[in-house]
Amino acid sequence: MFKSMLNALLLVGTALLTSLSSPMVMGKGVYQSGPDFIAEVFEQQASAKVLWLTNDIRQQAKYILGRPVSGLRIRYHQHGSKTAWILEEIGKEMPITIGVVVEANKIAQVKILAYRESRGGEVRYPAYTRQYLGAALKDNYKLDQSIDGITGATLSVWAVNKVAALALYYHSLTEQPTADR
Amino acid sequence: MDVKKSIIFNLRWHRRIGLSLFFMVIFLSVTGFALNHSPGLKLSKVDLTNDWLLSWYGLEQEPITGYKLNENWLYQAGDKHLYYNHTIAGSCLPPLRSVATTAQMILALCSDSLLLLSQDGQLIESFSQLQGLPANVEQVLVDGENIFLTSPANAVIFDANSLNISAVKQASGASIAPQPLPDNQFKGVSEAGSGASISLETLVLDLHSGRFFGNAGVLFVDIVGLLMCILAITGLWAWVNHQRLRKQ
Repeated sequence: MFKSMLNALLLVGTALLTSLSSPMVMGKGVYQSGPDFIAEVFEQQASAKVLWLTNDIRQQAKYILGRPVSGLRIRYHQHGSKTAWILEEIGKEMPITIGVVVEANKIAQVKILAYRESRGGEVRYPAYTRQYLGAALKDNYKLDQSIDGITGATLSVWAVNKVAALALYYHSLTEQPTADR
Repeated sequence: MDVKKSIIFNLRWHRRIGLSLFFMVIFLSVTGFALNHSPGLKLSKVDLTNDWLLSWYGLEQEPITGYKLNENWLYQAGDKHLYYNHTIAGSCLPPLRSVATTAQMILALCSDSLLLLSQDGQLIESFSQLQGLPANVEQVLVDGENIFLTSPANAVIFDANSLNISAVKQASGASIAPQPLPDNQFKGVSEAGSGASISLETLVLDLHSGRFFGNAGVLFVDIVGLLMCILAITGLWAWVNHQRLRKQ
């Protein structure tokens, strides 16, 4: 009796440990490539463009991210008033690759394309990223919507918030069709 | 053997063993104390890069190779940082596989991305595998204005403005040959950059356990441990005999 109970406990423990350490639960991995994300958003109709980061832009981006941005230019895709950005920000130690779609100065989609941290991968769930829909940039370059955090993924949540704000800022610098202005 | 003879025999060996262990007991106590307080003493933060020590551990310092661009050097040192002379130009997953230059930019190919740098070493943009860089690219070649990325199986032509790639049958062009960094300019980098080091904690632990001297060292520390046990037993036996003698 005791032996069978011990065996059952060991089995449950092993199953629990295996599931906890699996990449699926940790959320580590590449979920979608950049080209696939762009193709999904625009269905091949968008044109690839480049935003050159002048000193002023870099200063503002530094304010939003809390660190200097790397690179002299940022690539984005545009169709009409919709732009898509693939940006990276470090959660705790590793960069999170985030795809952000902005339409008419409001966020239309946020998607985690690659998550490399060992913890905090819950930010990739649609239930979380859906909170950003419709968010715009306030005068202080923060999001105008409150985003509920996730316990244990605070740094990743902050990273997504910063990237969303940065994408909105970058979008505001792009040339928009006259009808949308 | 009567009690007196037994006491003399026991004490003689107790003294002999005690004397022979004198230095080892002090040494093991000091190293044990250090290991016990390793976090406080921050032994794991002290990196030892002595050539002899690294060679003893089989960790020879690899000379860092770089790519000479006129009078400037592009190289990767440490974890992921890519340096242009002494400035961090960007970061990518090592190794830095190939470097080539066009009239406008420097192209640095790492394991996971292709970094586009301006001629003065500023990062323009990085093109990662997530953005469409083929995974098995080993070399970047420049032929006039054409940039080719080659792998053992195939080659693609790369447009640095649009980041588009398209397959080609044959690639041509040149890349820059790697060469060791000049010691006089990059001494600090050569010493610290390759990442080969032993922490003081590892050294103390290996000395404490005898592993530093291989299997013979471990056996020696085992024997020392055994002799310490004998020392404790002979000490106890001396005390017991002393009590018996007093009763007699």
